[in-house]
Amino acid sequence: MTAFEVNGRKVDLEVDPRESLLAVLQDRLHLYGTKKGCDHGQCGACTVHLDGRRVVSCLTLASQVEGREVRTIEGVAGEDGTLHPLQRAFIDNDAMQCGYCTPGQIMSGLACIAEGHTGDDDEIREYMSGNLCRCGAYVGIVAAIRQVAGPAEA
Amino acid sequence: MSTAPARVDARAKVTGALRYGADRAPESVAYAAFAVATIARGRITGVDTEAALNLPGVRLVITRFDPDELTSPGFIMTGGYGFQSLQPLLDDRIAYRGQPIALVVADTPLAATEAAELITAAYEPEPAAFTLDAPGAETLVQAQAIPIPMFADTAVGDADAAFAAAPVQVDVEVSGPNQHQVPMELIGGVVEWHGDTLVVHEGTQNSGAVQNGLARQLGISPDRVQVISPSVGGGFGQKNSLQPHIGPLAIAARRLGRPVKLVLTRPQTFHQASFRPASRQRVRLGADSSGRLVAAIHEIDQQTSRHDLFPAMYTEVSSRFYGIGAFRGLQRLVRTDVQTPGYMRAPFEHIAAYAMESAVDEIAYATGRDPVELRLANDTAVDPVSGLPFSSRHVAECLRRGAERFGWAERSPRPRSMRGPDGTLIGWGVAIGAYPGSAAAAIARMSAHDTGTVEVAVAGHEMGQGIRTAIARLVADDLGIEIAAVKVGVGDTRSAPQHLTAGSWGTATALPAVHAALRDRLGVPRTGPVDMRAAVAATGGSRIEIEATSVARGQPADVVVDRLRKGLLAIAGPEYPEFVTFSHIAHFVEVRIEAATGRVRVPRVVSVADCGRVASPVTAASQVRGGVIWGIGATLREQSLVDPRYGGFLNPTMEEYPIPVSADVHRIDVDFIDEPDLLLNPVGVKGLGEVCMVGVSAAIGNALFHATGARFRRLPVRIEDVLPHL
Repeated sequence: MTAFEVNGRKVDLEVDPRESLLAVLQDRLHLYGTKKGCDHGQCGACTVHLDGRRVVSCLTLASQVEGREVRTIEGVAGEDGTLHPLQRAFIDNDAMQCGYCTPGQIMSGLACIAEGHTGDDDEIREYMSGNLCRCGAYVGIVAAIRQVAGPAEA
Repeated sequence: MSTAPARVDARAKVTGALRYGADRAPESVAYAAFAVATIARGRITGVDTEAALNLPGVRLVITRFDPDELTSPGFIMTGGYGFQSLQPLLDDRIAYRGQPIALVVADTPLAATEAAELITAAYEPEPAAFTLDAPGAETLVQAQAIPIPMFADTAVGDADAAFAAAPVQVDVEVSGPNQHQVPMELIGGVVEWHGDTLVVHEGTQNSGAVQNGLARQLGISPDRVQVISPSVGGGFGQKNSLQPHIGPLAIAARRLGRPVKLVLTRPQTFHQASFRPASRQRVRLGADSSGRLVAAIHEIDQQTSRHDLFPAMYTEVSSRFYGIGAFRGLQRLVRTDVQTPGYMRAPFEHIAAYAMESAVDEIAYATGRDPVELRLANDTAVDPVSGLPFSSRHVAECLRRGAERFGWAERSPRPRSMRGPDGTLIGWGVAIGAYPGSAAAAIARMSAHDTGTVEVAVAGHEMGQGIRTAIARLVADDLGIEIAAVKVGVGDTRSAPQHLTAGSWGTATALPAVHAALRDRLGVPRTGPVDMRAAVAATGGSRIEIEATSVARGQPADVVVDRLRKGLLAIAGPEYPEFVTFSHIAHFVEVRIEAATGRVRVPRVVSVADCGRVASPVTAASQVRGGVIWGIGATLREQSLVDPRYGGFLNPTMEEYPIPVSADVHRIDVDFIDEPDLLLNPVGVKGLGEVCMVGVSAAIGNALFHATGARFRRLPVRIEDVLPHL
């Protein structure tokens, strides 16, 4: 059995050694906010936080997260449904179109801010370039992260 | 920040609550995977499935379906429903590399994947052709191969004589690459039987075609097929018709008595679905010495498959860019051994604009005219092809406003004359774009409840363009109710007949009629806000239901509504009985080329669009930015590399097929003319999602010329193309 926490909830599952965290989150825990766009760590749609760090869950084996804390998009808003300021900023800046990459963008954006990679907009662009958006919502995504991170450094 | 409301589904998107096709795993679901052909053309002589069948958890391996249980869905462009006519797993023929040769169904996705990889096949290969010039590629003149008026060659006046006599001539050849749509959501879904009814959850732009196509393939009534696709994770044309995996899944689900889920791998989406065909264009443009355009000849070779003719429609738009009195088009199709290519955002217009607008730029330089001024001088109020007026055309205003916002007056016209302090070459370029204004027949159903809410069901698919928001806004504005009181249902065959959603707008024409009928039934005035709660209560019931049908201008209602109900294309345009409709745009682009590396950056774009009334300002601006970014990718990055030896595409992953990333995208200023086009429909909207990409490539190409003095004839323009010109 593999025991870990997802969004503060304890999970204890029999997992196949080949099974990805993404596959477990989706079809076994029914947390479909985490998306599959490539299954090869190339698009960022499946980004989650593992002990506070952003990882692509498609390249993270479920058996590797034993004893660790996973946070997905479903764990970002408050218990009462209050949106996180970054979620609010995504709405304010229309930082989405089809929405499929949006959860991954938000998980990566939260980490980008926490890592301090928001010195100027080019730094945000660089550190968000692992999260692809085919609709091309990048202008809004950078603006949303900027809004939450505070003004750019002079 | 705009005061306009955000997307009605924004909260669901930022919380991860929105469900897409494959976001489900019903009780007892089984998982499918395909084994695929490793040759591009020939015959299968044997498939070894033993190892796969012996794998624990494997329930089914199917290598061939009986003709009485599964048939071809037909090709969407010839009265069918499929992205191609060829349905895999019906016979021993292989027509393209990556074609499915076996379907595996297992208890887990891991078992299905492993089993698919254990399947091997023996083949009798045959020589195959993959590129326009390959031996064995067969070239057909489209007008003869598809003798239908809409695919005929455009001809106005005597273009060859006018060109020969023109004192200024340019002759441009452009080659366009294979590209793929690469929507973020993979192709796939979940299929299950509820008794005799087939229920399909799959991201599609055309749930009506999926419904009716499956009915045809399986020999059942369309009433027994439900397709549910309220949210699509991007389509861009790749999800515009029935995909060939769904029929096989339906049969597997019936045999097993279990729901079946399949999500194609990313490389499979490059080989089992449509893509942008390779093309080669030649544009000859003649002008008088003042730069007045007098003749255009536009010839195109476009790739198609061996089994279908994907019609080319490049000259429909290139003949309308300017008021050129003599135009001749020639469109040819080149059969190669691939799955059938198809529509990818701005399918013909994007690459046609690259050729035409590059040629126009050359005319400007040849005649010493400013590129904006030359375009203004060649504008037209009358369609040169039909002689009819445009329902609306604001090209000149797009150009003027864009030039003003961009600061075009500061441009130094000579190539290589603008540099940054570090030696960076700077180029400024302009181009226009146009896209035909189509409209579809639609049936809208609306119900008003005594709780004050209104439900709307209509043909349409939400794939990021914001159709749900646009419809909700339209209904809320029209009835004077809160936007939150409007519930919009799209992409669901259970609630309204569904039509392809692809650059056309059927809903805007249906909704005003349904509003009017609703007001009549409620006994409230034709205009002004409605107290929905009170009005419904006053009828004595708890809800009122209304249905209305609309057709495009000049469409025969009975014929198109029947087509709509059958899931067939029911569109009209851009030529209507009294006018011709196009959306228009002007793009102004700055490129900077790093002196040491030759890397091209696009720091600044200004785009001004003429799309009629802007139905939803926030989502519309996002859509234009997205189109511009598509243009940047298509010009500087994206190419599906063909393997000339074995077929297939060599870079079918998101790492190696380089769609633009955040670091590629900088300032994109968007503005709209926002003049309703009330001739086209009562709401005054024209299309936007495609036109916004048209002309971006040409503007970048013209900026590259301004920066380097060189013309780039092959897309994408790569660093190695630019380096010799630094």
